[in-house]
Amino acid sequence: MSHNKRVELSRRSVIKGGLLLGTVAAIGLMPIKLLRAEETVKENAEPKTKKQIGFSYDEAKCIKCENCVRICQETYKWETDAPWRKLLRNEKGDALSMSCNHCADPACAKVCPVNAYTKRESDGVVIQDSSKCVGCGYCLYACPYHAPHIQKKSGAVSKCHFCYKLQDSGSGPMCVGVCPTQALTMGDMKELSQKGNLNYKGLPNPKITNPSMIAIPK
Amino acid sequence: MGHWGWLIAIYLFLGGLGAGAYLTSFAAEKGFLGKKTNLNQVGYYVSAPIVAFGALLLITDLGQGLKKPWLIINMFLNFSSVMTWGIYILTAFIFVAFIKAFFVWKKRQAPDVLSYIGAILALATAAYTGMLLAVIEGVPFWNSYLMPVVFVVSALSTGLSLTSLLAHFFEKQHQVHEERVSQVHLWLVSMEILSITAFFALIYSGSQGAVAKLSANLLLTESLALPFWLLLILAGLVGPLVFYVQQSRCQKKAPLAMKEQNLSENADMPAGVNQGASAKSQNALLLCDGAVMVGGLTLRCLIVFAALPVWNGLLS
Repeated sequence: MSHNKRVELSRRSVIKGGLLLGTVAAIGLMPIKLLRAEETVKENAEPKTKKQIGFSYDEAKCIKCENCVRICQETYKWETDAPWRKLLRNEKGDALSMSCNHCADPACAKVCPVNAYTKRESDGVVIQDSSKCVGCGYCLYACPYHAPHIQKKSGAVSKCHFCYKLQDSGSGPMCVGVCPTQALTMGDMKELSQKGNLNYKGLPNPKITNPSMIAIPK
Repeated sequence: MGHWGWLIAIYLFLGGLGAGAYLTSFAAEKGFLGKKTNLNQVGYYVSAPIVAFGALLLITDLGQGLKKPWLIINMFLNFSSVMTWGIYILTAFIFVAFIKAFFVWKKRQAPDVLSYIGAILALATAAYTGMLLAVIEGVPFWNSYLMPVVFVVSALSTGLSLTSLLAHFFEKQHQVHEERVSQVHLWLVSMEILSITAFFALIYSGSQGAVAKLSANLLLTESLALPFWLLLILAGLVGPLVFYVQQSRCQKKAPLAMKEQNLSENADMPAGVNQGASAKSQNALLLCDGAVMVGGLTLRCLIVFAALPVWNGLLS
């Protein structure tokens, strides 16, 4: 008698548990569509600053000389395993010269607890102040493009700042200046975004941070 | 893969553990854990030190902030950063829990407002440890609204375990074994299993993208599968679940058995047997509490270690 009762009880609880599991899984799945709708709204958002400058990379023109990377390293003396600019390449012969993309919605600036990041109103450049950085590493996770790196020696994050001092004196950044074929250029994102985007060879969805860079494939 | 390692994982665990311990003693004080309880003090004593120690680990993990500690004060600055929220929540919680513990130690009635503020801050602390990860879109595996849910439930469960363990060793003068505690723990462990299931269901539904699935694969079938199944699922969840289910069954039977005893008027026989059995179940209970905490720590470590970035940094 009591044995029967026990079996019945456990069967009932198994069914109950199963139903509950199913419900929870369904709850887990439901709000996705709502979230997606929100994302598409975000995509069409107005620019966040008065002006937004950005990089443009034309793969067909690039001769992979890496001058852009070299001049950046020589000028700002970053450690080679914590680069500000990289020339990415794959076996197929594709390439991309990329630094920080000075995003319209910079995830780094949003998560940094000490406010080391500022986005300039005048041109949308995202500048990181290493002297404020505590080195918590939160921005390293937040940035989808692996732009911020911790410099081992100082323990502080640093990244490309679009040579903002040169910008202020009226000239362009070092990397753009040194590119022999004008594969790497800069411009106003209003015009650049007419020509392309950063939906490029495995790169993350541009909707996450709205990067200020376009890449034109071969 | 990422920058964070053991220190951050343990910090997240301790944040939840301390918060859970406070909430356990709070619940016991308010009578939610049975009429006679020995859980109404220890949780208060340990909560602030545990969370403070966790915060210390976070600081040891810093880069430049460790060399120039005056920079750390700036971590209160950015209100859009969840880490800044956390610094506020943790500071407030440590402060309030410490004062509450002082009242308990002096055997004085603390103002009700203080206890309630502490409980709210404890919940916030537990939720924050999940939110810290959940807001990062750069790591799709973390970027789930179920992350804080999993962390809060685990925090409550580990906090209850720690408080029960400590009460067993340090509150010897009044040992009480309330069945209510086992029931609550059964409920918490079930909730944790459900929320972890929902967490993985959400990821395998594809809503968080392919990379989140790769992270989940690391846990379910690849390099992190051993600790996941052995330490978290088997030892930390299923083991305790089975035990608590059995306990609640035994306790349901107990009143029946007593009635039968009275009918047969055979009162002296079962006393010795019961004592032996209860000592055994007491040991199993302690083991269970330990296992729940091991599971909680494993959960935090696995979640931190399974973080794959949304982009691997290579051209495809």
